[in-house]
Amino acid sequence: MVFGKRKKKPCFEGGGLVLFADVPDAMKAEKILKSAGYPVKLVAPPPHLRKGCDLALEINLVEQTGIERLLREGNAEYISVAPLRAGSSQLLEIVQVTDFGDWVMVKAGNMKLTFDKNSGVIINTSGGGCPDIPYLHIELIGKKLTEAPKPRDIGFTLCALMLDRAVEECLAIWEEKRG
Amino acid sequence: MMLIAGTVPIKNLLLTWGEARLEGDSLAVNDHSIPCTQGTGAMISAALAVTKYLKLDPPQVLLCGDIGDGKGSRSIYEYLIQNLPQLSPQVLVLHYWLPDMALMRGLCESIEKCPQKPIMIADAASMYAAKACGLASKFDIFTPDSCEMAFLADPEATHPAYINRHLFDTDITQTPKLVATAYQLKSAAKLLLVKGAIDYVVKDGEVVETITEPNMPELEAIGGTGDTITGLVSAFAYAELELHEAAIIAAKSNRMAGKFAHATPATKVWQIIEQFPAVFGEYLCEWSGVCFIKAGRES
Repeated sequence: MVFGKRKKKPCFEGGGLVLFADVPDAMKAEKILKSAGYPVKLVAPPPHLRKGCDLALEINLVEQTGIERLLREGNAEYISVAPLRAGSSQLLEIVQVTDFGDWVMVKAGNMKLTFDKNSGVIINTSGGGCPDIPYLHIELIGKKLTEAPKPRDIGFTLCALMLDRAVEECLAIWEEKRG
Repeated sequence: MMLIAGTVPIKNLLLTWGEARLEGDSLAVNDHSIPCTQGTGAMISAALAVTKYLKLDPPQVLLCGDIGDGKGSRSIYEYLIQNLPQLSPQVLVLHYWLPDMALMRGLCESIEKCPQKPIMIADAASMYAAKACGLASKFDIFTPDSCEMAFLADPEATHPAYINRHLFDTDITQTPKLVATAYQLKSAAKLLLVKGAIDYVVKDGEVVETITEPNMPELEAIGGTGDTITGLVSAFAYAELELHEAAIIAAKSNRMAGKFAHATPATKVWQIIEQFPAVFGEYLCEWSGVCFIKAGRES
């Protein structure tokens, strides 16, 4: 009898951790995320990230936005989400603004959002690479900044989070302009 | 065969394989209409403009609906991991999808089993995944923008949202320093086309060309104009141009199409794409040094 070589299932490599104050919180979060189809793994946090209990949940860091929303909706308590690799930077906070005359473009990380100065209507979004970005592009364009859905409410990824930052900055510019 | 794989923003679109064709401002694949907007749709449309002009076979596309939850992305990874050795495309272009390090690793192992290694091109989150799992140098072409270049130069980052702020602040003229760092870290493909106010074409760590004209800063605001560059360079590579030549012509074509379209930040990407045939007609012969045979005569 010859045994065929068992197909190796790729091991999960998430790159991010959800940190908790105690073990029941971690177990509850795992249940919520697994039932929603997210690949997750209970792990011991490395020393540089240990904040509360000795159990953390490894996630695909890119999915941070959707995962945090789901945990909030499920009333699952957690301390924070952090990149797994030692030496990783904090989430980018800085934005850059470009004035195109009738339009203003705000860049937050890898995402850009441009609106019409006179009407406050979003006229373009660009940048990014995650699968919710083309969807958000369609959902946001043509809507007023004040009425457009928030990328953090309907997006799932870190690209969506960066686009949300751009929306917030555009709103601040728009409101300041209107006095 | 040129194979393009990526997600599209149609929630319920199942895994779809087929030949793409342009229909007005949309793409058609089998019976599905795909919006020609930012993302894989814009990229395929630009590649189609090239293959149609050069009378090459159109790209085969592997698409799946995904609005961010990653299910469609995983379907594409799994299909490619299973089937790439049999498909064995000449050019493989990977685009928008949820970056997944383990699945990207599996995909690269599958590519190794192809009878002939394809020209491997990655943009968007496919590039993020390749870099994050340490397999960037397996790829032939990456097409990052300036922020994504900083991401490639950050040894710890697995997504551009978590890059070192000092790298993000770097001005575009400092791109060669980021390029050098990325190559030292083995976080770059063999050829980079860095998109920005200055487009840099980098071969094995050396800047071989910069493109600045026509100056079209408005293009940065238009969603999909980075995707069109990737589609163009992929199709020119499929047309067997040297990869650096393909990159230079792609960058020039994109800028010139923006000029032809009188682009403003409010322009839509399909308005840029519809200019490509006119751009190729006027400039491709000059830029490539090879004239395309039209109706049996050299044009």
